[in-house]
Amino acid sequence: MTLPNPPSPRPVAAPLGLSLAIVVAIGLVEAALAHIAFATPPDIALGVVQKIFYFHVASAFAMLLFLVLGAGLSAIDLVAPSDRADAGARGALEVGALFGAILLVTGPLWARKSWGTWWTFEPRLTLSLLVELLALAVLMLRGLSSDAQLGRRAGAAMAVMAAPISLLIHLAVKLWGGNHPSVLQGGGVQSAAMRISFWLAVAGVLTLASALLALRYQQLRLDQRHRELELTFAAWQLRRTRTAGESS
Amino acid sequence: MNATPAPDDPRRAALAPDGSMATRDGLAQRWALTARLTLVLLRRDLVILARSRDTLGLVLMFAALCVLLFAFGFLREGAAAAEIAPGALWVTLLFSTTLATLRLFAADEEAGALHHCLHSAAGASPLFFAKALMQGLFGALITALLLPLVWLFFSAPAVALPQVLAALGLGLIGQALLGTLVAALMVHVRLRELLLPLLLYPLTTPLLIAGVKVTAISLGGGDLAQTTPWLGLMVVFDAVLLLLSPWLFARAT
Repeated sequence: MTLPNPPSPRPVAAPLGLSLAIVVAIGLVEAALAHIAFATPPDIALGVVQKIFYFHVASAFAMLLFLVLGAGLSAIDLVAPSDRADAGARGALEVGALFGAILLVTGPLWARKSWGTWWTFEPRLTLSLLVELLALAVLMLRGLSSDAQLGRRAGAAMAVMAAPISLLIHLAVKLWGGNHPSVLQGGGVQSAAMRISFWLAVAGVLTLASALLALRYQQLRLDQRHRELELTFAAWQLRRTRTAGESS
Repeated sequence: MNATPAPDDPRRAALAPDGSMATRDGLAQRWALTARLTLVLLRRDLVILARSRDTLGLVLMFAALCVLLFAFGFLREGAAAAEIAPGALWVTLLFSTTLATLRLFAADEEAGALHHCLHSAAGASPLFFAKALMQGLFGALITALLLPLVWLFFSAPAVALPQVLAALGLGLIGQALLGTLVAALMVHVRLRELLLPLLLYPLTTPLLIAGVKVTAISLGGGDLAQTTPWLGLMVVFDAVLLLLSPWLFARAT
């Protein structure tokens, strides 16, 4: 009587590309910081405070890009469920929410100096806050679900729902604030050095966000694989117990 | 399981005339079946509502109390501030409909019927539409109580303008569709009483903003033509929800 061997786990290679992406991301962010600090002149009107603009706008790009990616992958996961789409959607929403948090901290700091107020119901500002709250709530929904599969689908459905409604929120807030005096658009990129700083910061933040997503994706995939192996192992144990019972 | 109910079984009304479970093709037939099953489920929920009116009574009491809190909370020259009447109306409506939303699937869950309604041969759509209609009914009843109360507490100058009623109707439709979807997605979520508003309120902001604007313009004697873009926004919102939410409901539950 031969017992079946336990399933052997597939070896997981730490991808070289991932390590490389992280190194490049850190390099780009450091380069952007150095360029912003030493090579770029302070803004004529706003002074040194304007320098927060580079990472603020780059974080806004990252937030928008990764939340849209998260909603898109959620839609894919709903239409054609796959563990890859699920891990990608969750990772993208998390990274989007992270850069949204950076956006919402740097925003008021900059607004205080350039607009003279910590907060104003400027459409983009309001939309960022509401979308950030929504992204966090969707992630909480997944986390608090007692059934992992149902939580995953519920989270995906909410992410898909939130995408078109975000456009309507933007429209509503824009129409709502229609009677207020238009807010002064401070900052901007006026010199070549500023442009270099700006694009360095954008490249750095987007590479960093992508590397974080890749890292989180890898981690979530390992988690899925772990649960899969646990199931396989439980099934193997059951079979072994049965085989042992038959032979005795 | 038994595929066909006995001829005198009331459930038979929901089936196709020959008694078969409707897996037959034909879009019109499928829609007819969905409508029939929706009515069956709606009638069931109405019977439950008629037999135990506790939820409705509590929600209505909450709504009345909430308007009172607004009247106490915002003063102008020692009296309730009339200019917050639109906000008080809409925010109270949002809060009290949420209470109904939280209890929307409670009876099905406690009786263990939810799983069967969701995974019947006709799909989840009848349950979605029946629940959305129930939620809309709750909203309409709350509104019927709120309008006179707001008028009474805030001495609002004019009521029942067609624009306000149109905005309320559109707002209630949107809230019912969105609330039903979110409530269904949260059936298995811990702390859902706390999490549901966090998902629902950001998504309803367009309705809230538009509804308050329309009401403020109408009550303030403003130019009624200004309400058109807001009502248009609410129509678009409701249309997006009507397209997306039944599909997401069927996909995700």
